[in-house]
Amino acid sequence: MKVVIAGAGEVGTHLARMLSNEDHDIVLLDDSPEKLSIISGDVDLMPVTGSAHSFQDLKQTGLAKADLFIAVTPFEERNVLACAMASYLGVGRTIARINNSEYLMPRYREKLSNMGIHELIYPESLAAKEIVASVKQTGTRQLIEFSNGKLLLLGIKVRENAPILNKTFEELALENEHFLVVAINREGKTIIPNGHDVMMNGDVVFFVSTRNEQQRIFELTAKTTFEVKNIMFLGGSRIAQKSIEKLGDQYRIKVVEEDVERCQLIAEKYENALVINGDCRDLKLLRDEGLEKMDAVIATTGNSETNILGCHLAKSLGVRRTVAEVENLAFMSLAENMNIGSIVNKKLIAASYIYRFTLNAAISKVKCLTASEAEVFEFIAKDETKITQKPIKNLDFPSEAKIGGIIRGEDAYVAHGDTQIIAGDKVVVFTLPSGIRKLEKFFK
Amino acid sequence: MNIKIIARVLGLLLLVEGVAMLLAFAIALGYKEYDQQAFLFSSGMNVVLGSCLVFFTRNARRDIGKREGYIIVTSVWIVFSVFGSMPYVLSGAIPNFSDAFFETMSGFSTTGSSVLSNIESLPHGILFWRSMTQWLGGMGIIVLSLAILPVFGIGGMQLFMAEVPGPTPDRISPRIRQTAKTLWGIYMIFTVAEMLLLWLAGMDLFDAICHAFTTMSSGGFSTRQASIAYWSSPAIHYIIIVFMFFAGTNFTLSWLALRGSFSRFFHDEEFKYYGFFVLLFTGLIFIGLMLSSYVGIEPAFRDALFQVVSVMTTTGFTTVDYLTWSPVLVALLFGLFFFGGSAGSTGGSIKIMRIVLLLKNSYHELRRMIHPQAVIPVKFNKQSVDVKIITNVLAFFMFYFAIFGASTIVFTLIEPDFESAMGAVATSLGNIGPGLGTVGPAENFMHINALGKWFLSFLMLLGRLELFTVLVLFSPSFWRE
Repeated sequence: MKVVIAGAGEVGTHLARMLSNEDHDIVLLDDSPEKLSIISGDVDLMPVTGSAHSFQDLKQTGLAKADLFIAVTPFEERNVLACAMASYLGVGRTIARINNSEYLMPRYREKLSNMGIHELIYPESLAAKEIVASVKQTGTRQLIEFSNGKLLLLGIKVRENAPILNKTFEELALENEHFLVVAINREGKTIIPNGHDVMMNGDVVFFVSTRNEQQRIFELTAKTTFEVKNIMFLGGSRIAQKSIEKLGDQYRIKVVEEDVERCQLIAEKYENALVINGDCRDLKLLRDEGLEKMDAVIATTGNSETNILGCHLAKSLGVRRTVAEVENLAFMSLAENMNIGSIVNKKLIAASYIYRFTLNAAISKVKCLTASEAEVFEFIAKDETKITQKPIKNLDFPSEAKIGGIIRGEDAYVAHGDTQIIAGDKVVVFTLPSGIRKLEKFFK
Repeated sequence: MNIKIIARVLGLLLLVEGVAMLLAFAIALGYKEYDQQAFLFSSGMNVVLGSCLVFFTRNARRDIGKREGYIIVTSVWIVFSVFGSMPYVLSGAIPNFSDAFFETMSGFSTTGSSVLSNIESLPHGILFWRSMTQWLGGMGIIVLSLAILPVFGIGGMQLFMAEVPGPTPDRISPRIRQTAKTLWGIYMIFTVAEMLLLWLAGMDLFDAICHAFTTMSSGGFSTRQASIAYWSSPAIHYIIIVFMFFAGTNFTLSWLALRGSFSRFFHDEEFKYYGFFVLLFTGLIFIGLMLSSYVGIEPAFRDALFQVVSVMTTTGFTTVDYLTWSPVLVALLFGLFFFGGSAGSTGGSIKIMRIVLLLKNSYHELRRMIHPQAVIPVKFNKQSVDVKIITNVLAFFMFYFAIFGASTIVFTLIEPDFESAMGAVATSLGNIGPGLGTVGPAENFMHINALGKWFLSFLMLLGRLELFTVLVLFSPSFWRE
């Protein structure tokens, strides 16, 4: 597939690298030759210097023959305009990055679609959604809901007090048929387990289950859930603001932000938040503001290091729930081992959101599992596809991937070897990057 | 350093060379000459060794970094020359290994200097292999492998950059493999076209194929001792002039022209300068020849044009021994040794784009003397050129002349005649072919001792990979972890 990406910023370069490694033809457009020369030095792509909103420069990228145009420059209006122009020049599908949730409203979507802007992506909003989910769902590292919560994916860190430690997954599956372990993250590596693998202390284990059964998983992993009331945000970035907006009124929120003007802005916008002007690295200030009494600390300054250290400090003071925004990909596995709770990365979130448009099969949802390589897909099983021919155990499914569960109409089921998928089912599948291409043929 | 992937890539490329040798073997079979076993044996050796390397490194990590890229590219050219010289040694055509290695490196680096003094006596298989080495080396061994072997994955980029350094890399398509395929496609089209035209113009088919190979690669090996002077037909001369000119043109531009966008072709600044230099030097030499009462206007023009295009594109064919011309004309022609073809062509030497950038930058220095505060960007094709590229070009220029100077001094120890030494060094470094004095167009390189041949072979490699790729291997920081 030929993909044109406008904007060689963090999201753009990450996408370009990922898609190029997957054998897509990538053209990267940016107005800075320096940025382009850095990425084109080690990724197989065609760099084009030019402006995303110039017809001439867009033509240079060979848009007319491209299947997908992704505008991820830092400027919303430029992205929207570039997508409209790209559609006019004949590209198959366009995606614009936006900073304004107004565009996401259903009543304006059709208007935008008529202008040639087919999909919108708002990375800050997606990241905020993850943050809110992790605040509301204590006990899990990551919680992904499928079909409005009919099926759940819970990522839980297993510690030494968990009763299910050192059991093989085969035994586990015999005892409990209402949940399934689909992936484990161990020492920075992601494993799609087979029956003989054993759960070990320190693993982050990803379970698929239904809402009624999640309590059982918490029991087995010795996790207690608690109500979050007091939340402190370190840094008042756009992600923080979006999260505060989504959290609503029932929380007591403190925001520590260095920039006075931004403090003003947040204080005006969100009445339920107490805004403190100060440095997030100032320990005394954080103590004075009652860091250790918080139920949750969310570090979203623009600086990954500060976020990691802030969360580490909070954890060591006994804060039970921490979320750190870590944008530096190299820090991700380091941060994972540092005991700082959950991690969000808006680049990865945005990239996996966009990723689905490059696959041919019908996909309704893609998510990446934080701090791991695995991705989770929600495929729609169509008539006549390979996946509907046989029960799962006879499918010869790739070993890098695992079917977690299916959603059929109003009901959700955890997948078993005997499960037969029929047309119209939504199928939740976990896979390592190497398995993605192999999956396509089962759903196409 | 990922040694395993280096060995693996070398193994794969040996397989490619082994297959190429089979083509020469087929020619030898067809002509029923004594070089059959030599080719069969050399090819077998390549295939066996290549397969072993590939087999034992099958679990190598796939990542090829910058360092691995430079090592792979440099060593591929050396390994190819070592194994490529086997047919000469085994068949007895060039029994001495030093001589055979010189001949093969001269082939792969598209230089065209030869140690042979009786080319016509050689079997057809050997002659074909000699031309084939140039054809393979012309567009680049790595570029060829990228086009036909799907194994390189991510690392292909590093290799491509190391083999085709150029001042500004052109990308025809998003995928490096597609770019390599397109380049080889154009190369093939030109080669076949030239072969047919030469055949129509009266060359026999075998000579036509061999000359098409060595023209498009700007190589300059001929199947005749007298080079192109063997044929007196003006048509053959003009056909070769035209294709030498194309070989020295940026292949990306040729691709655009083949697809019908001629405006880009004719408005390209490098192409304009390339044409201008050809016309300028042809004019000067033509006038010089007329003043020295040369036979006839058309032959004088043809000889001037042929020699100018041949030297400037670094092909090295000759229709006349230019050393018999008056000294000022020889000096003009020797100046052309330092021009070379366009960037992205098969021509070697300094290359037109670098010359033009340097001239412009130097001229702007003068303007900056008068307006010290002025901001004057160097522009090329109506776009300002990044300062990084200018410094790179300056460094290239510095290295080129430092190497030329130092090598000339060193080489006078081996070849006592100063003029010949200078000619031999310039022609090897610029991948041209004939030099001056005792290595002029009518002479050959046989009389230079073994040490001298190895030295010149090294200069050819240096010139073919545009200095940096080889030189970087000699910098201590390259080997420091």
